[in-house]
Amino acid sequence: MTASRRLTLAALAVALVQIGILSWMIVGRATILRDGREVVLEVQPVDPRDLLRGDYVRLGYNVSSLPAELFGEAGMTTEPEPLADGLVVFVRLRAGADGVWQAVAAARGAPPPAAPQPGDVDMRGTADYWPGPSARAVSVSYGIERFYLPEGQGRAIEADLRERRFRMKVAVAGDGTAQIKAFYDGDALIYSEPLY
Amino acid sequence: MASYLSTLRNDVARWRAAGLIDARTGEALLRDAEASHGRGISFGSVLSVLAAVLVGAALLLFVAANWEAFPRMARVALIFVGILVGYVGGAALKARGHAGLGEALWLLAAVAFGAGIALVAQMYQLSGDEAQAVLVWCAGTALAAIALRSHPLTVGAVLLAGAWLLMTATAAGTHDQAPLSWLALAAVLWAVSLWTDSSPSRHLLLLSAMVFAWLVYVDSDSLRAPAILAAVSVAAFALGIWRPDESDRILRLDGALPVHGLLGFIAGMSAIQFEYYDEPEFVYVAIAVFAGVVAALVLAGRSGRMLRWLAYAAFVYELGFVYIALIGTMLDTASFFLAAGLVLALVAVVITRIERRMAAAAAAAGGRP
Repeated sequence: MTASRRLTLAALAVALVQIGILSWMIVGRATILRDGREVVLEVQPVDPRDLLRGDYVRLGYNVSSLPAELFGEAGMTTEPEPLADGLVVFVRLRAGADGVWQAVAAARGAPPPAAPQPGDVDMRGTADYWPGPSARAVSVSYGIERFYLPEGQGRAIEADLRERRFRMKVAVAGDGTAQIKAFYDGDALIYSEPLY
Repeated sequence: MASYLSTLRNDVARWRAAGLIDARTGEALLRDAEASHGRGISFGSVLSVLAAVLVGAALLLFVAANWEAFPRMARVALIFVGILVGYVGGAALKARGHAGLGEALWLLAAVAFGAGIALVAQMYQLSGDEAQAVLVWCAGTALAAIALRSHPLTVGAVLLAGAWLLMTATAAGTHDQAPLSWLALAAVLWAVSLWTDSSPSRHLLLLSAMVFAWLVYVDSDSLRAPAILAAVSVAAFALGIWRPDESDRILRLDGALPVHGLLGFIAGMSAIQFEYYDEPEFVYVAIAVFAGVVAALVLAGRSGRMLRWLAYAAFVYELGFVYIALIGTMLDTASFFLAAGLVLALVAVVITRIERRMAAAAAAAGGRP
């Protein structure tokens, strides 16, 4: 094999590996959308002055700030590991009467130990930082705090967000990874995430 | 240079066809020509790399603009085609002797991979962990650098690793600590840079290591990291002075180990000075820095202009530091300008004399620079 053919084959291999990585990411997300369990969360404005950043809006949810009681007695007192993994949080969600799911329990590092009721969904998030034992709430991100917009539509949606109640349908994978699935204005569907 | 190589390639093919030379001679001729002409930076290759960076930036902006005219799968396909054409086309160009253009296409393909990661995040509304995305981008680029033995791609991977370090260390709240795993990443990239023969990558890695020590210092508020940095830098400087050939054979830094040693020493000692800013110990640290700079000048001033100018700059920097910390409160503005003027004039005289003596010594040694 000549040097130039070897180089071309190496280049082809690199291209296929990188395309493979991207495809794997896309298939992984599509799988969550297709097979993940659905929960509905209520959208809350994050910071009224800075909702729109570039071409996406920042979103908060009714489970973005978790009351400390959800973590139980021991949950709040232990210090987190210094590594990022020490801030992983699992929150147990249960459907409410109005269709919006609420947090019923939370734990760090693993799903809450108590046996779940049928229909409950454990969603994985990351605490932004770990407040001390006297804190009353923990701020958690789930990787669904961002909604990309078609160019120029940001301001309109931002204004609406402050006036009306929006809901987000979220797909949750078996390991707790959350993925935005559909965006509702009241009961009207305004965006639905295609599989691919 | 590339054009000469492609001309030669055609000639060799013609000579072989005409039976003037055999295949082995042809290969040997081409290898020799590539070894002596393929290296070095030509204006054309610099321009093509710059062009690649610009087109890459356009590609990134194109995706970031969330252009709705294309269906999203078309955008993904565009990225995939960009990656495929970039790598394979770059290899084809390089094989034909257009090394600069080939490398530029590879860079473009690596940028397309990064744009692809951003596109997936945009398609599926992913938030958070941009640092993770940059790390994946860095790993993909490093892989390409290894497989294609590419120097520019190695530099790209090193820069992405630096970006990951900064993003992780400054991320709001989540894990605001300089990641120790960067050291492992840097070690891997160092090995890659030896394989791809990319000494700029090694220089950048050493500079990143100094930034890393500073980030650890700022995060932990402990002087351990800067102290280690200063000590290792002194050792590196000593090694570079007393065993220049051996150390360069192992580290392959183009003989710049003393320069990095001096820079690391200044960076480490600066952190220590910041810590002792209002304490009486400040004077001793300042004296140590001045002594270090003068020692570097005396011991290694001969080894290169770069080191001398770094030493002069460090001297002036340290003077400013000491002035702000100590004397600033004692002198009024007018006397400061007078004192600064006198000191700078003195420094200028000293620099001129050292440089003249260096030039004379170089001339006496037979015109070596």
